[in-house]
Amino acid sequence: MHHFVIRALTFALAGGLLSTPLSPTPAAPKVTFTIGIQSDVDSTNPFTGIVVEAYETYALMYDYLTTSSAKDVSPQPSLAESYSEAPDKKSWTYKIRAGVKWSDGQPLTARDAAYTFNRIIDGDFEQTNYGNYVANIDKAEATDDTTLVLHVKQPTPIMERLAVPILPEHVWKDVDGKAVKSYANEPENGQPVVGSGPFQLVERRKGQYLRFAANKNYWQGAPKFDELVFRVFTNADAEAQALVRGEIDFAYDLQSNVFNSLKDKPGVTTRSSEYSGFNEIAFNTGAALADGTPIGDGHEALKNKQVRLAISHAIDRQTLVDRVLNGHGSPGDTFIPPVYPLLHHTPAAPQNFDLAKANQLLDAAGYAKKADGTRFALRLFARQESQDSQSTAEFVKSWLKEIGIDVTVKVMSEDTLTEVIGQGDYDMFEWGWVVEPDPDYQMSVFTCGKRSYKDGDAIYADLSDSFYCNPAYDELYEQQAGETDQAKRAELAKRMQQMVHDDAAYAITYYYNDLVAYRSDRWTGFTPQPDPDGSLLFQYGVHSYLTMAPVTATEKPQAASSSGVNGALIGGIVAGVVVLAGAAFLVTRRRSSASADDRE
Amino acid sequence: MRGYVLKKVGWSIGTLLFVVVFNFFLFRLLPGDPIGLYTRGRNMSPEQLIRLRQQLNRPVGEQFVEYLANPFASAINSTRFNRPVWEIIGERVWPTVLLVGTAVLVAALAGVWLGIRSGWRRGSRFDRITTGTTNTLYAMPEFWVGMMLIMWLPFFPSGGINSVGVSGFFATAADTLWHMVLPVTALAIVYLAEYTSIMRASLVDELRQDYLTLARAKGLREDLVRRRHAVPNALLPTMTLIFLNLGFVIGGAITVEYVFSWPGLGLLTAEALRGPDIPLLQAVFLLFSLGVIVFTLLADLLYAVLDPRVSTQ
Repeated sequence: MHHFVIRALTFALAGGLLSTPLSPTPAAPKVTFTIGIQSDVDSTNPFTGIVVEAYETYALMYDYLTTSSAKDVSPQPSLAESYSEAPDKKSWTYKIRAGVKWSDGQPLTARDAAYTFNRIIDGDFEQTNYGNYVANIDKAEATDDTTLVLHVKQPTPIMERLAVPILPEHVWKDVDGKAVKSYANEPENGQPVVGSGPFQLVERRKGQYLRFAANKNYWQGAPKFDELVFRVFTNADAEAQALVRGEIDFAYDLQSNVFNSLKDKPGVTTRSSEYSGFNEIAFNTGAALADGTPIGDGHEALKNKQVRLAISHAIDRQTLVDRVLNGHGSPGDTFIPPVYPLLHHTPAAPQNFDLAKANQLLDAAGYAKKADGTRFALRLFARQESQDSQSTAEFVKSWLKEIGIDVTVKVMSEDTLTEVIGQGDYDMFEWGWVVEPDPDYQMSVFTCGKRSYKDGDAIYADLSDSFYCNPAYDELYEQQAGETDQAKRAELAKRMQQMVHDDAAYAITYYYNDLVAYRSDRWTGFTPQPDPDGSLLFQYGVHSYLTMAPVTATEKPQAASSSGVNGALIGGIVAGVVVLAGAAFLVTRRRSSASADDRE
Repeated sequence: MRGYVLKKVGWSIGTLLFVVVFNFFLFRLLPGDPIGLYTRGRNMSPEQLIRLRQQLNRPVGEQFVEYLANPFASAINSTRFNRPVWEIIGERVWPTVLLVGTAVLVAALAGVWLGIRSGWRRGSRFDRITTGTTNTLYAMPEFWVGMMLIMWLPFFPSGGINSVGVSGFFATAADTLWHMVLPVTALAIVYLAEYTSIMRASLVDELRQDYLTLARAKGLREDLVRRRHAVPNALLPTMTLIFLNLGFVIGGAITVEYVFSWPGLGLLTAEALRGPDIPLLQAVFLLFSLGVIVFTLLADLLYAVLDPRVSTQ
């Protein structure tokens, strides 16, 4: 009995000692940077994943033709060291860097890039994530090892923003169009996923963590640390605790209450960074199908631009920023956030909080106050998933009451709301968008063609959620879609923002910040995007991962994490001993009492 | 006995059929556009969208037959993970069984022991303290207990099953055990009261029985009277409770898994609800119902074995 316990313990200890860093291996301890994320990567297959954390892993594992600059998010060469549009505007030529290698030693050439684009163009499932990027590309061709030519159907500025990870042909050619649907793209038999980016995926435990090893031969220079870990937390409080204890180095995507609780913790720096998202109160400007057939039950008054303007003037955006966002954001005006300084447009006449003006506009529009002080009633839908959405709705309700509009707030799930919007069965709702560096998608939201459509008898939502339809806007949209001069296109984008602002399809409420906290006592050298108030990680590109470094090389910043492993090992053994000892105690006790019983 | 078994098995199969059918129609009554959910945020072409829709627009009868053939497969993948639902569930089952199974076991062992002690000497100080403490713990929400444990015991890991970079069988096992301490504790101390009070109550019922007087008259020590005669008879309700709870093991402890970032079924359910990821929810619901049905059946059968009177009634 006792022998068994002792033997088991000996095995456990010996096994543990042999297989962990406790054994005397002289290799230098690895410097690991651990990021806490609140949503697991849904898939490391770039054709499958969809969450922002997944796209971050693609950016780490693979290279892209172009990237977005850290300074102002403008397009910038990356794997393609230069690129140009042909004079006849029928093709684009990308000069692929020479000497870049895949992590398995094979050379990365223009043929890999051509393979990747052709695979998407000819693919079915492959189109799910990247279809829009290649919609305008006829075919891709590698004229030699360093030259990629993409033939386009018509001129388009998207060619500088092709966010398509370049995949190794010699790996992916074995994964056919059917297999790709369920292809995990995870390490197998201890072999990391073949990539060319600054990090290689070496281990993945679903729901727990992803571990990456630095690519010491990366063409932009080796990262200044050895390993990168994404650790999944399902709960922000636990993530904050882990940061304070040093289990992780960076906590991403925090809520403002958790963020505030971390403010005075030693060694921790909190950061509220400008982000590319905005929220709005959207109006039903007259719901209709793309062909103009009216649908839905939106209030008549909201078809009147003056009424929407009045409501916009009745929203105190600064109060929303202070009270709903706890100051982590800025008042909003147009639909491309200021995080894109080259594209954002600040309107000359902002829709300031001015109840007198709002009342005046409503009177002029013919909606006089009735005897009871009200003019008409509207519905405002808020999202169940977001406390901020519900708070905003309550504020708006109280302000609109001041100008005689009686608002009923209804809270519903985002899923239900999507359905309701698509059918046009609403007056106003609160939601938001995250705007990509290329504004095309966001701008398309306000075109006539993106209104709902009919398939059989059922009506389905498209992108438009205000049913804004303005031929002048559509004309500008078409014009910018073919404008390959970035400066001219930015000018068009600004005019489009001004138009939507003046017509008040949305009352944009605020631009919210991205809240993170990190161990500034251990890590330094982050590169914000855009400079200086933008995000530190989860950027468009991998800028910070290449510049950040442990605080000092002499200080052994990895001590906490490696002692964590040993601590866990020792702790596990202790727990094992306790359990075994408990079992032994029970068994021996039973034995001795059994013999006592026998004697009786 | 055979009649009893057949009856119970029959009832279980009936319940199962009902659940399978109900589960199919329940999720088809829900509002929302599952294809819209699946494609949200993807750069998908309209033709692809139409093809996906056609799959769901087939006659309900045809879909039902297909679903019956393999209820865990679905016409479309999980919307959140973009993989077949049964594959996702498969990898989430074991963490939950490990966590909740251990907790039920620990709570049952400790609870039975405490229940016997306090029931045998009813009204004693031990009894009062045990009953008071376990009832207080029972009243605490699991997630709150979990959060408090994380904050008070910073030596233990704040979540997950394994540390990064641990390899080797024994090291991994030790590491897992280490990570299990807090979540198992949080679950076990909340479950404890159930077992303690049931065991205590059923033992108290036995206290005045004639056969105990007889046992004492035979000259058996008090200890033996309790262990050999009273406890085996009083164990029946507790055994039932343990088995019923084992049925809920698969359902997991959603809140505790959430607090400790434990990648089990409970967490999967919470994630699926956030979507909502309807194909995944449908499969998870089915699995949970299956767990309860199977273990209830086992409890019924075991009951008959332990107490032959049950099957002859």
